[in-house]
Parts: sequence; C-alpha cells; structure tokens
Amino acid sequence: MECRLEENVGARQTLVDVDRLMERYQQADPEAPAALIGSLSPGLLRFFRSQVVSREQADDLLQETWMRIHRVRHTYRPGEPVMPWIYAIARRVRIDGYRKTRRITAHEVAMETLPEPPVEEQRDMLPSFDTLVGALPDAQREVLTMLKVGGLSLQEVACATSSSVGAVKQKAHRAYERLRQLLQAGAEEDRREGAQ
Amino acid sequence: MNCRHIDKMLAEGSLASPFSTEVEDHMRGCARCRALVTALATSALADQPSPAMLRHIESRIVADYHPVRPIGPRLHFFSVLIAIFVCLAGFGVYLRGAFAIRVMSPLQAAVILGALAVCTGLLASSLTQQMVPGRRHWIPPRLLPLGIMFALAVVIAALFDFRQEQHFLERDWACLRNGIPLGAIAAVLFWLVLRRGAILSPAMTGAATGLLAGLVGTSALEIHCPNLHAGHILVSHLGVAVLGTTVGFFIGMAAACEINPPCP
Repeated sequence: MECRLEENVGARQTLVDVDRLMERYQQADPEAPAALIGSLSPGLLRFFRSQVVSREQADDLLQETWMRIHRVRHTYRPGEPVMPWIYAIARRVRIDGYRKTRRITAHEVAMETLPEPPVEEQRDMLPSFDTLVGALPDAQREVLTMLKVGGLSLQEVACATSSSVGAVKQKAHRAYERLRQLLQAGAEEDRREGAQ
Repeated sequence: MNCRHIDKMLAEGSLASPFSTEVEDHMRGCARCRALVTALATSALADQPSPAMLRHIESRIVADYHPVRPIGPRLHFFSVLIAIFVCLAGFGVYLRGAFAIRVMSPLQAAVILGALAVCTGLLASSLTQQMVPGRRHWIPPRLLPLGIMFALAVVIAALFDFRQEQHFLERDWACLRNGIPLGAIAAVLFWLVLRRGAILSPAMTGAATGLLAGLVGTSALEIHCPNLHAGHILVSHLGVAVLGTTVGFFIGMAAACEINPPCP
C-alpha cells in the first residue's frame, strides 16, 4: 500500500533544525527569520485552516501568531523542543481569534456527517484532510492536526495543549474511530447511489 | 494487530510505509482501517502561505529585530516567588505577632501550615510553568486555583470547630484588614516577576497569581490570629485568598480584552 504517512517522520527530522533556527532567531541572526517563517508557516496555516476558518482568517491568525512569537521569543529556552512552544502560542492565538469574531460556539458544534466535498474531491471519492477533520469536534480536530500536520509527538501535543499524554491519546483514538465511522458511512452512501 | 494498534501507531507517527506484514494483513481484512489510513495519507499541503504574506511577516519582524536573552531557568523564578512569599508572610507575622501558634495544637499547626506550604509550592510551580508556552502541567492550571481553595476549606473545616461566636463580623473584618494589604503587596511583586514570561492566558494566570498573593495574607493570619473558630478562619483567613483569586481573575480578563479588542 503506497502511502505518504512518512511525511510526518520526515517532518520530525527537520524539527532539530527548527530548534537550532530558533536559537539563532533569539540571537538576531539575519538569516533566521526568513528560514523560520518559511519552514513553520505552512504547518501553522494548515493548523488554522483545519479549524474550519476561512483562508483570510487563517492568514490573519498566522500573522498574529508570528507577531506574538516575536514578542515572546525570549521565553523559548534553548535546547528544548520548539514545536510545543510554537503550537501553544498558535493555539492561544486561535482561541483569541475565535473570541474576537464571536464565532467560537459555531465551531464547537460537532458535525454529524462529512461536509459536502468540493467537485474536484468527488472525482477520486476521497475527502481531503481538512474536509475530513472538519467533521470532528474542536478538541479532537486540534489534536489530530497537531499530530498529522504539525508532526508533533504525543508528548509535544500534551505540552502544547496543557493536557496529559493520556488525554491526547484518548482524543486521537476517538478522532480515528469517528473518522472510520464517517468514512464507512460515506462509502455506503456512495455504494447506494451507485446501485440506484 | 487490531484497529486500536493502528490508532496507536497513527498517533505515535510510527505507521510509515512500507508497512510491516502485520499491518498489511490487518488492513487487507479491515476496510475501515484501510480507508482511514488512505484518507489520512492525503494530507498533502493544499494551502500554502503566499510568498508575499511571508515577506510581509518577515518585514514586520525585522523592523524590531534585536538579540534577546533567553528566559532564566524555572527553578530561579520558583525560588524568587517562594522568597517573596516567605518574606512577606514573615513580615506580616513580625508586625502582628505569632499568637495562633501558641494556641493551636501541634497537629493543627503542622497540618494547616503544611497544607499552606504544599498549596504555595504547587501554585508557584504552576505559575513558573505558565511563564513559558508549551510547558507540561501535571495539574491543569485552570483547575488548580479551585482545587487549592477547596482543599484548604476542607482542611480548615476538618481541623477546627464550628462554634457560635460574638462580634463575628468585627473580628472577620479586622483579620481581612490585616491580610489584604499583604496580599496586595505580594501581588505587585509577583507580577513584576511573572511579566518576564509569556502570559498566554491572562485570566487564568491572574487567578493563580491572585490566589498565591492571597495565600501570603492567609498564611500570615494563620500564624498570627488566635481565633480558632472554623467559620472565622474560612471567612476571614481563606477569604483573603478567595478575594485575591477573584480580583486576579478579573484583572486578567481586563488585560486579555486590552490585548485582543474587541472582547465579547
């Protein structure tokens, strides 16, 4: 079975470089901001996008996250993993962003079925990651996105979300189980439509 | 190999292709896991930040770019918080006298002062963790202040007697009047220490700081006040801590609104 899950393994290997970049960023190395922003922004943008916000909102949240990272960059302790530090800030920016736009309650409602996939997705009958996690409750979506998109370990997700490893594992398991149900329901529906 | 093992491997990031024989065997027979793994594998980057936006972020950062000294070790801040706590509580006792120690039984003194010491240690530890984003918390910071107030209330109710007393309000007010200024001074000093860190959740940190400051007043009163009625201790000694938590929470809320206007 050909699969691209090894992307996450690769992502973890680059984290060591990000830790070093962060140290250089604290020392005001002129190369560091561009390198750091370039390497972390795609993951952060996906993190915001997977929380079912529009592209414009996700861009705003990304900018705000970098401004906060810049303001509190002295609180990163060299030698410690940088990803929980970054994602804890991003998570807070997301929460504040929701409060600001008074849309938090709308996003807390767990969706019962997968959202209608866009036309291009219907072609290969496989929902995208964002569509898929969009069907999960907020806390499960956050954990799954950090694990799969951010490439964080269970321990790092626990740190970033101020929870225990056990709680993260439980949320991940529930998320996978929910996704299995949704995918199965979607497949059965497709079969029924095909038979008609 | 079952679905739960697949979940575990997915969560740990250890499910990379080529899959092991066991994983292949399971997925061949389990359509649900096959669909899940395939769907998650499509997590290729769909949205990429635009180069213009990345340049914009970089230009904003470079506009105020200078070397910073990384924050000191956690133990350093923990020690400073404890030192402030001990000095101020000691100062309060020095001014008013340690009359309660003389009238309390050794058990009462040991348990109540031990409980206050443990609660102070937990709060100071939690606050130093909150200064740095992404730190592991053994007790969730939002539950800690409530848990500490509840635990102290239980300890006080278990150790001391509830009795009718005269001039209840006057005595309570006298203790509150002694405890609140100590708490207020402590809060200012704690804030001067904590502002070195990154306070991501001002309301939560405000409540914990207020409680720690309030416990300075509570501790001083526990050593000073010879009134051992449980009702009095709960209202006027622990009351200083409760008041500190409430004020700290609302100051934190106000600070959060200041940072992120408009606030709902």
